Amino acid sequence: MSGIPNHLHHQAVTWTLGLLLALPVSVVPGAVYAIDGAATPGASVAAAQDAAAHASGITSGDSPACMRCHWMETMAYRDRDTQEIVNLSIDRDAYERSVHRELGCRDCHGRGYKHYPHRTNSADEALQCVQCHEQHQGDERHHPPKLDAFAIQYQNSVHAEQDLESFSCFSCHNPHEFRPLPNDTPVPQVVAANNNLCLDCHTELRSPVPRGHEWLPRPQQHWASVRCIDCHTPVAGRDLYAPSHELLGAGDSNQNCVECHSQGGQLLAQLYVHRAAQEREQEGFFAHALYNDAYVIGMSRSPLIDLIGLAVVGLMVLGIAAHGYGRYLAHKKTRPSEQEAA
Amino acid sequence: MSALYLYPVWLRLWHWLNALLFLVSLVTGISMHFALGWLIPFDVAVPVHNTSGILLTVSWAAFLLGNLVGGNGKHYLIDLRRLPMDLFRQVRYYVYGIFVNEPHPFHVSAEHKLNALQTLSYVGVMYLLMPLLIVSGWAFLFSAQLPETLFGVGTIWLVAMAHLLLAWMMLLFLVVHVYIITTGETPTTNLKAMVTGWHREGARAEARGARGGAADSR
Repeated sequence: MSGIPNHLHHQAVTWTLGLLLALPVSVVPGAVYAIDGAATPGASVAAAQDAAAHASGITSGDSPACMRCHWMETMAYRDRDTQEIVNLSIDRDAYERSVHRELGCRDCHGRGYKHYPHRTNSADEALQCVQCHEQHQGDERHHPPKLDAFAIQYQNSVHAEQDLESFSCFSCHNPHEFRPLPNDTPVPQVVAANNNLCLDCHTELRSPVPRGHEWLPRPQQHWASVRCIDCHTPVAGRDLYAPSHELLGAGDSNQNCVECHSQGGQLLAQLYVHRAAQEREQEGFFAHALYNDAYVIGMSRSPLIDLIGLAVVGLMVLGIAAHGYGRYLAHKKTRPSEQEAA
Repeated sequence: MSALYLYPVWLRLWHWLNALLFLVSLVTGISMHFALGWLIPFDVAVPVHNTSGILLTVSWAAFLLGNLVGGNGKHYLIDLRRLPMDLFRQVRYYVYGIFVNEPHPFHVSAEHKLNALQTLSYVGVMYLLMPLLIVSGWAFLFSAQLPETLFGVGTIWLVAMAHLLLAWMMLLFLVVHVYIITTGETPTTNLKAMVTGWHREGARAEARGARGGAADSR
């Protein structure tokens, strides 16, 4: 599964409605961590040029008719049952930077839009990311990544086990904005983009003493440096380019500090490579070396080597002190004799 | 009193620059390794350590170049036939002779700056430990390009352990080096030589003579 830009993502709850596009289209080869365009300021210029080179689904066909309303930022309604605001707005810029940008609205949203306002279930029609990506595997131009492994992982995840009625791909990933992060994205930005996926729902974890993480020192510093999934997915069979969607609950997750902060910890190796790989293409050879901040405190720790080293150096210092004292005594002894001789 | 111009400017500059880079690497490395935020903040220590490590590589390349084309390399050639005897005499001096004011078994000359023990340890440090330390450091920086495991163990762990072990050995060398240079004719003879370039011998005898003279006149 390597080479697949892994998961999609998104921040708000816009998924509940609107035009859900599940057709995958373009893939950025080798891209590692996917997030939506909104989270990557600075990428917009290149992305806009890139988008201009391709047909934009949102401005062709009858999509403009949809966008007459859906581009409005205030396009929303309050759900009668849940009393929640349902956002129907499509961020046009973000969409045109997304991997799905070549798709017109009707490529995914086929039925039920003749009447205004549309039925509330219009957007909830059976849009299936996995199947759609599967169907378009033969599409030579776009090579949508296969998502079936994610689907299997997801079935074993705590999200599926919780049997949350409304949980789906769109709970975390916004297909209207999804795009992979460029490889040269700085690690902190990658981590932030990834963790925002989780923290947007698990908002309580942004508190200084996050529930269930009381054992973890400096939680906010960890949030900023490590991805949630680094501890909350199974260690075995990890793929840097396709993070597991088998999210683990508290009981099964890694709570062992030395997995990251000590010798040969499996997580550490992955974490280090992950960080170094992210920086690989960053501004050339020396910049990569100079600004390589993949080092994790404790990764070079070996109590045995440290003990031996400290003992040997300590004994050497003692030996030197004794030697120096001996020389001093010898020196003192000769001086009077010299003076006597004189 | 004899004075010998042993260390040309380029060599002294290299030596002290190398020493500075080595110390910076050592202190930042210790700070990172033992998580001593009070010594040097972690986010400062990492880029500084990377930088000094890279510069140390450049410095080592300069050392190699200076030895190859600068003519300094001859001091690092080991005469295997004479080595055992020279080594014995040198060690004997450090463990015995020095305490009974025996004369130094080795006399510095333009042809032979280093005694047998120095040659052996410098060759070991500069041609064995230092390259390994540098290679392991660069392996750290570019570990993403390395295989995930080596001999069934995580590559990064092997690299980390090698770097750590080598760092301890280099610290040991530094401690010994700093002390051994005090065993010249006076404790500062060798230090002054590396600062000024001039190795002056006989100063102590003259000082003694002067002291003796002063005692006489009293």
